[in-house]
Amino acid sequence: MYRSISSDTCFLEKLGPNGVIVDRADFRLNFQQKLASVVLLLFFASFFFPFYLARENRISEDIQSGLLSLSPLCILFLMLPPLLIALHAFARKGWMKEVTITLSGVLGLFFPMMVLAIVGSDVSDAFGSLARYSPASGMYLYLTAVIIIFLMKPKFRLYDLSGMILVALAVMFVASKGSYDRLGIVLEGRNFGSRVTREVLAHIRLTFISLGISIVIGIPLALASFQGKRAKKIVFPFLNLLQTIPSIALFGLLITPLSLLSRTFPFLREMGIKGIGNAPAIIALSTYALYPIIRYSFTAFSSIEESVIQAAKGMGMNPFQIWRMVRFPLAAPGVLHGIRVALIQTIGNATLAKLIGGDGLGVLVFEGLGQASVDMVLLGMLLIIALTIASDRIFQIFIYLVTPPALRGKAVGNG
Amino acid sequence: MQSHHNHPVLTDTHSFLTVKNIAVNYGEIAALQDVTLSIPANRVTVLIGPSGCGKSTTLRCLNGLVKIDGGSITYEDEGIQDLSETDLRRSMGYAIQSVGLMPHLSVEENVDLVPRLLGWPKASRTERVEKLLKLVRLEPEIYSKKYPHELSGGEAQRIGFARALGADPPMLLMDEPFGAVDPLNREQLQDEFIRIQRQLKKTVVFVTHDLDEAIRLADYLVIMKDGKIVQADAPERILASPRGEFVERFLGPDRALQRLTLFTADRLMEKVLSGVEEKPALAPDESSNRTYWQVDAEGKPIAGYAWVGDKAIRRLIVNGTHTVQQYSSLKECVSKILNLGLPSAAVVCEEGRLCGEVRFETIQQISQG
Ligand SMILES: Nc1ncnc2c1ncn2[C@@H]1O[C@H](COP(=O)(O)OP(=O)(O)O)[C@@H](O)[C@H]1O
Ligand SMILES: [Mg+2]
Repeated sequence: MYRSISSDTCFLEKLGPNGVIVDRADFRLNFQQKLASVVLLLFFASFFFPFYLARENRISEDIQSGLLSLSPLCILFLMLPPLLIALHAFARKGWMKEVTITLSGVLGLFFPMMVLAIVGSDVSDAFGSLARYSPASGMYLYLTAVIIIFLMKPKFRLYDLSGMILVALAVMFVASKGSYDRLGIVLEGRNFGSRVTREVLAHIRLTFISLGISIVIGIPLALASFQGKRAKKIVFPFLNLLQTIPSIALFGLLITPLSLLSRTFPFLREMGIKGIGNAPAIIALSTYALYPIIRYSFTAFSSIEESVIQAAKGMGMNPFQIWRMVRFPLAAPGVLHGIRVALIQTIGNATLAKLIGGDGLGVLVFEGLGQASVDMVLLGMLLIIALTIASDRIFQIFIYLVTPPALRGKAVGNG
Repeated sequence: MQSHHNHPVLTDTHSFLTVKNIAVNYGEIAALQDVTLSIPANRVTVLIGPSGCGKSTTLRCLNGLVKIDGGSITYEDEGIQDLSETDLRRSMGYAIQSVGLMPHLSVEENVDLVPRLLGWPKASRTERVEKLLKLVRLEPEIYSKKYPHELSGGEAQRIGFARALGADPPMLLMDEPFGAVDPLNREQLQDEFIRIQRQLKKTVVFVTHDLDEAIRLADYLVIMKDGKIVQADAPERILASPRGEFVERFLGPDRALQRLTLFTADRLMEKVLSGVEEKPALAPDESSNRTYWQVDAEGKPIAGYAWVGDKAIRRLIVNGTHTVQQYSSLKECVSKILNLGLPSAAVVCEEGRLCGEVRFETIQQISQG
């Protein structure tokens, strides 16, 4: 028999024969419910911030519009995801929880996108053909809440993916009708036109060339450090030193020596190696990527248990076979993990290439900053994030495929 | 050093390999000095001694994992006389304490490693793996696809043993192969080892620091100290006449009890008095010192019934806890006898069926030599 101690308590207590508490029913919010309240709070806050900004043309002043300036129907729709997440928090049945949270997440993506489309036609009606608009803080808060909803899900399931694909299809359909044409990001993308594709490709090229160079240099250095104490004594202090130089400084540091070099040896200049441009960017990026690659590879090779190597020798494997059949397969997950870290880091750092005259998405970001065009910066940033997530995903799948089944899902090195 | 050749267990064999005056130095440390040893073919040679005395080093000299700094190792067995170093290692199974199973390979692939290195055809390899897993009593269907991290300590040791036997090598080198398992599992593994060794008759060099294990398994016991051999002989002769104070101290004060580990239960096993009734139809003679064993329908012992003095006692039997196996040592038999207070210990065979008993009286006779 449970009894409530007082009406406002969060516990119900069950008392034993001599008045000792033997069990206690807990009515405090659980973790999931606490997250849900944070999400609700974000949704609530988003209603009081400007939802979008509109401008008559590229350089005129922003006009802020809050959620409450939207049509009642839009407001109603935008209220649905918060309602669903509240339902989720207090739903008892497992399927009920799953349905509410999934709907809340998917609709939370769908409605803002549709609202943006509706706003698009309103804006051009109100401000004429040069008008442009962009999502504002309220909208970002709203979308942050939606992202947390997806993170709250214990597992990302096939129907979540399907939901997202449906939303994407809907957005593409609406976009094809021209509803997003006045959106700042779209306008900037369109202004830049083929340059956007070019910078994306340049960004990928920068990343892969740099990564390739640091793999080719880094793995042999890791092996040398693993095999010999002397190499280790040179490589690691050097790496640690490099790591203390901020990446921007490293880019800058290379300008002087490289321009000196190219002035002294004209043939280098003809190869594109100058103080500014892509060459110093690649050098800086690959130097920077050395650290994770060497660290992780070294840890991977050194954490192979000695008994395994002893057993391999004892069974009559020659040194070559020990590397091929034992060391490489066992170290592979760790080495690849290092490359993955380097990949993500390089994609991010490649943005800085623009600062020393290189290409890549940094061009959008820094030109956007220069022109005070938030939309342009946003476009560059979104593309960098998308590129990072996509390459990380692809690389993870690759790691999964080449990892021996027994080693999958185990924590890799601690480098 | 040929003295062992006149011991009954060691006479009808030849020397598999001879180690003459070898020395090994690790920098300043002299790990082995002037070690001379002749390994009898098809017998178990056990190296024992305190930690750091050079047992592992000696073993690793035999397959060339450690280079000798003096002396010679001569392989007298024709099969391996002129092999290159890697071929030599492939012809000597090697099992170590930490097992060293390849974590990225399945059980099957681990056991298959040496045959694969030797380039055996696929079909005979698959067959071989299955046979070896059965030999170490692990069901191939359950175990062959498992990975090392899914095995218990005892199972991993068995796989390590199976892998060492992989290519049916004439010689096995085992460095504390049961060192990392708990005492109960260790005894079971020893039983298995004795069973398999009786069947396969390999030339085995076995390193241990556990005296019971050494005396149980050894045909030829080599006691080492500080990189030297102090005494090498058949274990019962070492127990009977230890050479010098070190060996005496090493064997401890319980040499009479240690002698019991020399013998397996099947050596003294006698026919039993048993039936499905709770009490024997014929009361056992008070002086016969035997036990009447009550068995179930499958022949597994349930209880023991005996007269001690003028009192009849009945003890319930838990298979495994209160019974011994064919290859258990007499020491273990004594322990069960004292534990239950019955005049004999029940010996069970495969599937836990009762197949004999070992009487305390008989053990007493043998322990007096
Ligand atoms: N790789 C090595 N480097 C240096 N010294 C070693 C090495 N291996 C063993 N030793 C030393 O050699 C001696 C014998 O070692 P080992 O044969 O492993 O002893 P055991 O197996 O009897 O415990 C010890 O003193 C040990 O410290
Ligand atoms: Mg050792």
